[in-house]
Amino acid sequence: MSLDELLRHPALWRAREPGEAAGRPGLPTGFAALDRCLPGGGWPSRGLVEILADHTGIGELSLLLPALARLCCDGCEAGWLAWISPPHPPYAPALAACGIDVGRILVVRAPPAEWAMEQALRSGACSAVLGWAACRDRQSLRRLQLAAEQSDCLAVLFRRLRDVSEPSPAVLRIALASGRDGLEVRILKSRGGRAVSVRLGWIGAASPAQAH
Amino acid sequence: MAQPGQPRVTPDVPLSEAPAPDPSARRRPRPQTASGGGRRRGADGPAVATAVARELWLAVQLPHYVLESLQPRATTADGTAIPGEAGPVVVVDFERGGKVVCDCDPLATASGIVPGMALNSALALEPGLRIVAREPRRERALLDAVAAVAQEFTPRVSLEPPDGVLLEVRGSLRLFGGARSLCDRLRERLQARGLDARLALTPAPLASLWFARAGSEVALRRPDALSARLAPLPLTVTRWPARTLQALATLGVRALGDCLRLPRDGFARRFEPRLRLDLDRALGRAPDPRANFIAAERCVLRRDLEPEIADTGRLRRALEPLLEELCAYLQGRGAAIESLELRLLHREAPATRLRLRFAAPVAAAGRIASLLQERLARTDLPEPVRAVRLRSGALVEAREEAGDLFARDRRRAAAVPQLVERLRARLGGKAVHGLCLVPEHRPESAQKNGDIGVVSPPSQARAGRQAGEGECPLAPRPVWLLAVPQPLEGDDPPRYEGPLELEDGPERIESGWWDGRDVRRDYYVARTPGGVRLWIFRERRAAGGWFLHGVFG
Repeated sequence: MSLDELLRHPALWRAREPGEAAGRPGLPTGFAALDRCLPGGGWPSRGLVEILADHTGIGELSLLLPALARLCCDGCEAGWLAWISPPHPPYAPALAACGIDVGRILVVRAPPAEWAMEQALRSGACSAVLGWAACRDRQSLRRLQLAAEQSDCLAVLFRRLRDVSEPSPAVLRIALASGRDGLEVRILKSRGGRAVSVRLGWIGAASPAQAH
Repeated sequence: MAQPGQPRVTPDVPLSEAPAPDPSARRRPRPQTASGGGRRRGADGPAVATAVARELWLAVQLPHYVLESLQPRATTADGTAIPGEAGPVVVVDFERGGKVVCDCDPLATASGIVPGMALNSALALEPGLRIVAREPRRERALLDAVAAVAQEFTPRVSLEPPDGVLLEVRGSLRLFGGARSLCDRLRERLQARGLDARLALTPAPLASLWFARAGSEVALRRPDALSARLAPLPLTVTRWPARTLQALATLGVRALGDCLRLPRDGFARRFEPRLRLDLDRALGRAPDPRANFIAAERCVLRRDLEPEIADTGRLRRALEPLLEELCAYLQGRGAAIESLELRLLHREAPATRLRLRFAAPVAAAGRIASLLQERLARTDLPEPVRAVRLRSGALVEAREEAGDLFARDRRRAAAVPQLVERLRARLGGKAVHGLCLVPEHRPESAQKNGDIGVVSPPSQARAGRQAGEGECPLAPRPVWLLAVPQPLEGDDPPRYEGPLELEDGPERIESGWWDGRDVRRDYYVARTPGGVRLWIFRERRAAGGWFLHGVFG
């Protein structure tokens, strides 16, 4: 068997080539600098996105709000935005000001956030599922990733930065840190993409869509 | 509908007997042969065909349910003795003193013992008697099992505790090749479980039951034949209260026919109206709705392995028939399962427990088997497996998805209530809610937890958004709003994970004097040393102090 034949084997994936996941267009993040670093030019439309940050409010939601607003613009086709076990109650006026249709928000206070997230992902009712969970269990993470892979929906899991060393099946892993001159987005893992850092400057609820 | 020319009425002959030419058919007393034959001739005419009932109820009565419920599985040819335990057996109800024989096996019957006899008399007749305690829970389980068997024949099955099951079989006759063949099959299935049953088929459920209780196995398809056939039955089949039966006996009324001959008004006046209704129902003159039996929500199967199996590969093959049975059970209900528990029982060691959870509901044996195979491969058996117990998780509706080009939106819309239902079922009603905007200046009152399922029309959502922008074009609002403002330490600057740096403000909000929840606050946007933007306010009322109210995400 020649090497070429071997390389054509469907089970082989070469890191140099964009994978299947990368072939699908992503959901624009609203930050041009970030879009350029992500395969598909935005948030992956399938598969789990992990956002790791040490503090709630560091800018993790501001990073997502433009994409969520875009999901709401789909008209009647828009699905629901599920917020599962958020650290605080989400504030509707601020979300409405960002262009999110608050009538489509579903807030779930579930101690086992993983279960509720999986249900939301599998239901097919949501266009985005945001979950806040410790996810100590590797198997539940894997289930979430599988569910996210099969659903046509933006699946975001917020975790603590100390979990960064644990292996994760997520398609995209991002660590957020706040530096002197704004939010620093470190892409730790990106299927079909590269691991790079992006500085987004100060982004906030009041003024999204400002990027370097 | 039956084809013209074919007889539409099953001959009125006892079910348990062979077809008419068989000489054995004449063994049983058949007092109604003449009338039955007469009707049969008329049944071919169209005018009489209309008299055939719309419903046909098959009653299954277990005369020895007390004894049978206690037998693990009677497998002997005559289905009598408890395996391994020779000798006459009687069952007594210890909860009622245990002094009276409730039921006895044929060996005891041969010694002259009958149900209802005092235990002491029975012991006097047969000193070697084995006495077993009655277990009502197992009796009920037996009835459920019979009903589950009955569901193979018809979807309309109704329980008649303690010893009867009713099946509406009108629609099933054709499939099973007629009443006789259906009854034979049902009897076969019951006999395989070691159950001795009496069957009776009539258009009225109560009449079927009464015939079965009387041990008169008939198949009647015409309601007008009922009164003549019911007449000779003893009144005890009605199971009316003993006092009523006694009162009737003093009137000389001992058979159903005597009862039917009594003047209708007087009967209703003298006795409970319920009795009159019972008679009307038995004659098919009054409606007799029956509650449908709903099978247990789980499937529990058990299999003993002989010889014991120590190898997981062989164990998997031994499990295959169990999985097939499970899937047949699921298919019969249009159901699927999300989890499955398997207990492998050993001789000494505690049972090995395997729990399979499926990502999506499954009803296919192949999928379960493949998962099970992987699971078994990872399992170490401490000892050979002696028996397997399989217990399905709760049944869920099996979803068959049809491909539809434009189905996505509709599926989404339909999926929301399902999702909410599911979440609420597990987490409680309050754990799931939506959001709703309220035109208000006080931050905590500007939203409320809304109802889900009320999707605000896009125009309204836009209007709300514009209103939000119009009201405060400059003032930012945090994505998170704390349910209760959190007091902050320090003053000028306040501290939260370090000294706060005020970025924006103040924005004064004074409102709400009319409802007692008055606020007078100066709001600021502040940043912690960690880079988190907070929404804090300085209380302007007497108490003063700094509070954290929101977090910019």
